[in-house]
Amino acid sequence: MTLQARGVVRSYGPTPALRGVTVEIGEGEIVAVTGPSGCGKSTLLHCLAGILRPDAGEVTWQGHRIDTWSEAARSRLRRTEFGVLFQFGQLVAELTAAENVALPLLLAGTGRREARTAALTWLERLGVAEVADVRPGEMSGGQQQRCATARALVTEPRVLFADEPTGALDTLAGEQVLTTLVRLARQQNTSVVLVTHEPRIAAYADREVVLRDGMVDHTGLGLDTPLAGGHR
Amino acid sequence: MNSDGVSTPHVLLGLLAAGSKHGYELKRAHDARLPRARPLAFGQVYATLGRLERDGLVAPAGHGRDGGPERTAYALTEEGHAALDRWLTTVEPPMPYVASTLFAKVVVALLVADVDRARSYLVAQRQAHTARLRELTAVKNEPSATVDDVVAADFAIAHLDADLRWLHTTLARVADWHREVHA
Amino acid sequence: MRAAALLRLALAGTRTDTARVLLTGLSAALAALAALAALTVLAIPEPVGDPYAQAEQYGNALLREPGLRGGTAFALLLLVIPVLALAAQCARLGAPARDRRLAALRLAGATPGQVTRLAMLETGVASLLGTLGGLGLYLGARVLIGRPDDRGRLALPTDVLPSPGALAAVVLGLPLVAALATALMLRRVTTSPLGVTRRAARDRGPGPWAGVVIASGLVAFVAGGRVLRSYDGSSEATVWLLGVLYVGGGLAAMVGVVLGAGWISHTTGRLLHRYARRPAPLLAAGRLMADPWAGSRTFAALLAAVTFGAGAAVLRAYFVLQDQLAREQNRLSGVDAGDNPFYLATMDLVDLAIAVAVAIAAAGLLVAVVEGIVARRRAYAALVATGVPRATIARSIAWQSTLPAVPAILAALAVGTFLGRALFGDVSRGVTSTEICDASADLCADPVTRQQYTRMVSGPEVSRTADVPLEHLALLGAGALAAVLLTVAVGLLFLQASTAVEELRTT
Repeated sequence: MTLQARGVVRSYGPTPALRGVTVEIGEGEIVAVTGPSGCGKSTLLHCLAGILRPDAGEVTWQGHRIDTWSEAARSRLRRTEFGVLFQFGQLVAELTAAENVALPLLLAGTGRREARTAALTWLERLGVAEVADVRPGEMSGGQQQRCATARALVTEPRVLFADEPTGALDTLAGEQVLTTLVRLARQQNTSVVLVTHEPRIAAYADREVVLRDGMVDHTGLGLDTPLAGGHR
Repeated sequence: MNSDGVSTPHVLLGLLAAGSKHGYELKRAHDARLPRARPLAFGQVYATLGRLERDGLVAPAGHGRDGGPERTAYALTEEGHAALDRWLTTVEPPMPYVASTLFAKVVVALLVADVDRARSYLVAQRQAHTARLRELTAVKNEPSATVDDVVAADFAIAHLDADLRWLHTTLARVADWHREVHA
Repeated sequence: MRAAALLRLALAGTRTDTARVLLTGLSAALAALAALAALTVLAIPEPVGDPYAQAEQYGNALLREPGLRGGTAFALLLLVIPVLALAAQCARLGAPARDRRLAALRLAGATPGQVTRLAMLETGVASLLGTLGGLGLYLGARVLIGRPDDRGRLALPTDVLPSPGALAAVVLGLPLVAALATALMLRRVTTSPLGVTRRAARDRGPGPWAGVVIASGLVAFVAGGRVLRSYDGSSEATVWLLGVLYVGGGLAAMVGVVLGAGWISHTTGRLLHRYARRPAPLLAAGRLMADPWAGSRTFAALLAAVTFGAGAAVLRAYFVLQDQLAREQNRLSGVDAGDNPFYLATMDLVDLAIAVAVAIAAAGLLVAVVEGIVARRRAYAALVATGVPRATIARSIAWQSTLPAVPAILAALAVGTFLGRALFGDVSRGVTSTEICDASADLCADPVTRQQYTRMVSGPEVSRTADVPLEHLALLGAGALAAVLLTVAVGLLFLQASTAVEELRTT
């Protein structure tokens, strides 16, 4: 019941981004992926989430190799079992918060009324029920990110991929988003892959994987070092 | 880190400003308001009160007996209020000296040992910092956490975060630094 | 700033900027060609003495008859309008990115003047290269198609050249106008170094006042018809009034149709939003409501062409009926002939011009669709990353482009038809009388014997209203809709590249 990357290699043209990375994310586990800029954090997240196909190595989800799946199959996986959250700019500018959150449900064939009800519930949980009928351009960055979190969680995914989810927010707003995200993820037993370069954000995780130059950095807190203090 | 330099006399003055208290009440109020600070010993409370009384900043405000041992309650004097005001209006000098055991240890490690030694120290320290950061983050996100807890944890987290950033960058600079120290 | 530095900065851009420069040049070339064609027609010399003398060297009556040349040149100049609409659309391609780049230059300390010059330089140079290319093409084509046919006539006036001054005005004037327009469009960027900030409040959407504009145009046309009927042929002021009513009314109706596209976009968006059940129409509805003017802008040239085309269809029906009536009257006289075929031949040319205008408008539409996709590539890439299938996004773009197009085209057809019928409603032919000779050719040829065998045949006065050319209008509407669908289909080819995950990289 886990997500695994084994020996994943991925390059952008001649530039190697990942040079053989092996990680495993357990059920309900919150794992931070950290490291300096350009170490391959985001690329690893994209490979794990089935957004990118690795050049070599394999990615398995619950025992199935997903890196060999078609784009359509991986798309379906991403909108049912996975949730994805980026730094900014992921909400559809022309749709209201509630419509944005309802989008994944509508894609899954849920009725519009039902989808809206679920969206409102999730906006409520994220503490942004008041912006349900507001468009992203009229919200603060923190509100936008909460809406994006609601959209990522509305399908009750098994794994949530968050790429610098607080990167565009100030400390307090970022902390509020992350606290809620972690709390809700734990309630649902959703695993979280949290890409961040900030130690204080990584501290929300149960475990930290440090990347350096496209590899797991063993002088950092490597794969085999679960830290004390995770409150599970 | 930052545990040094806390002015216990002024903290006690502040706690007394809300109304007269005896020694035991003062200790309890201190530990409740500053939950993540080093707990105050009784001896320290009484010694400090003695000094404050000597300087005329506090004065005994009656004796309570309550069937137990005799307890002297203290209250702020006029001068005490003035002293507290002065302290509150004085801006703390931001980091007048770069003085930290952490910093000193890395310097010494570079002086007496090699890059690897300094690096392994930095890595170990980073691990310890990260563990503490994680612990405080967990405490802060406990459903039962009070604002007192959160604010205190925030203070520590911000400093740990700063230290961690310093550890990260210093790890990247350690080779250059060693070369300079041994030039 | 030195010229070299200015040029370096003007050329620093992305592929989108390159595309914009190329398209700007291309549309400048097209505009130059249309203007040169008009000028050439005007340059045909009028023979001295007789103002009605025909220029016998041409095969086409439009060029031969001096009275028609003005109208022909005017029609050619009208073709510049869709070309200019295309140019405006091209100028928007990648404009947000360009505006950001220019705003960054302002932040780096460039003065508003420097930034404006930079953008003007880009547009001006691209347009100049375009008009020079257009001139080259024109001169080359003159030589290639300048051969007389077997009757020694020229198909086009390839034997005359506009004056050098007029040529220079086109080649240099168009880039100048384009550069000035760029400076005008950049006002917002150059006044604030922060560039364009996010929109604060939501627009309520355009009101249906475009309907008032259309109605006033139609009323002016009907009033024009009244004035024309009561015209006794003496008053100069009435001629002026007629001109104002017809030209002003026609323009108002056309502008109203274009503005109305904004209202139509917003309203279809609202309705779609209310009834949509699936993500694709919902996304389309959101976009239609958020920027209804996008529809107005993109469809402007197409709708103008369709309105004009509908009017032309009515005119053709009028000529066809006239021809038919003439034929009936002639048959009474035992002659099988229609009206002067000149008018119907001219209508073929008008239809050709409309087809060209629709094609150019479709090119502008294509640019608009592509620019809409490219400008939103980050949002699309994010949607794809969260598992939204590309097909859903493609469907939403198709919905958003075609749905408002259908009612807008219908409106344009209706307005054009109305205008056409207000101008050319009834065909009436007065009493005719023809002398007929009922004898052998020999007898009739002799003036003396002819007298005995002739009789007068008179036809009654006829007045009939032409049918609404439904078939022709349907063809026009279908053609315009097909152009929209084709451009959307081509535009969607850019979606794949615009949703690549590379668009998401933050580091």
